[in-house]
Amino acid sequence: MSKLDSVFELKSPDELQLREQFSTPDQQRETAMVGMWIFLITEVLLFGGLFTAFTVYRVSAPHAFDLGSKDMEIVLGSINTAVLICSSYTMALSVYYAEVGNQKLLMLFLLLTMFVGVIFLGIKFTEYYFHYLDHKVPALWFEEHSSEAPKIQLFFVFYFIMTGLHALHMTIGLGILSVLLFRTLLGNINAEYHTPIEIGGLYWHFIDIVWIFLYAIFYIPGLHLK
Amino acid sequence: MREPVVSLRTYTLTWLALLGLALATTLIGLLNLGPFSMAVAILIATAKAALVVAFFMHGKYESKLVRVIIAAGVVWVLILVSNTLGDYITRGWLPVPGK
Repeated sequence: MSKLDSVFELKSPDELQLREQFSTPDQQRETAMVGMWIFLITEVLLFGGLFTAFTVYRVSAPHAFDLGSKDMEIVLGSINTAVLICSSYTMALSVYYAEVGNQKLLMLFLLLTMFVGVIFLGIKFTEYYFHYLDHKVPALWFEEHSSEAPKIQLFFVFYFIMTGLHALHMTIGLGILSVLLFRTLLGNINAEYHTPIEIGGLYWHFIDIVWIFLYAIFYIPGLHLK
Repeated sequence: MREPVVSLRTYTLTWLALLGLALATTLIGLLNLGPFSMAVAILIATAKAALVVAFFMHGKYESKLVRVIIAAGVVWVLILVSNTLGDYITRGWLPVPGK
């Protein structure tokens, strides 16, 4: 009896959610994982280009970029860092409960992850609002009287583009989590088949990693100047 | 039912380590380390990212193929940053003839 037959004998392909082009559920899962990681690497290219551009300009104007960093909302930013780490933790727990097949706790932690994600976005936009009140939004309302003004403005251009792109990813992540929640509700996710939860989790954790670096480059360098 | 890849205990320890490192980043940022403040922040951020990839994203438990792909991403960023900075930082080190 071939490997294929033994799989089909235990359960119908439908029950295993095994697509016909795969021999085993493990192979199907691994294929999905490889695909997702390759997608995440393309995301690394996207953010990596921005991080590199930021570094080049920072090297050319370190003092101005420190001055820009001084105007960050460090308290809100630090709280947000903790908030996002917590949402990654609840996402990891979602994957855990998907693996053990506890659908109720899976849905609870998916909801919790989304809730914490929304809190993150709320705090982020509160920060944007404070920058607006401080007249630190390039193109819209930017006032700075030091001789380094153009370079400080450049710092804020990077800040809004990079955190904005991150917030966009968060929003997409919330959409993905809603789909996962819906699929769990329909009963499509169980202990045997939970690859979608793992894939969604990878995306969510990736966003967390991007923020970890954003926090390090935008909020920290000017902290000692406060 | 198969055993979960990572235990609840490991997830919780990772979470606490990440929170601790985030706090460390902020506290060290309060000190004036001059040009090193950014370097230290990036170093801690890299450690945090490694924790997330290894445990939250199961990188430590995935197949060799997936781990090679992860490594490729890291190496790619290192090439991008180091080669670009290698250009920008060294400009002006040597005089350009005729300029």
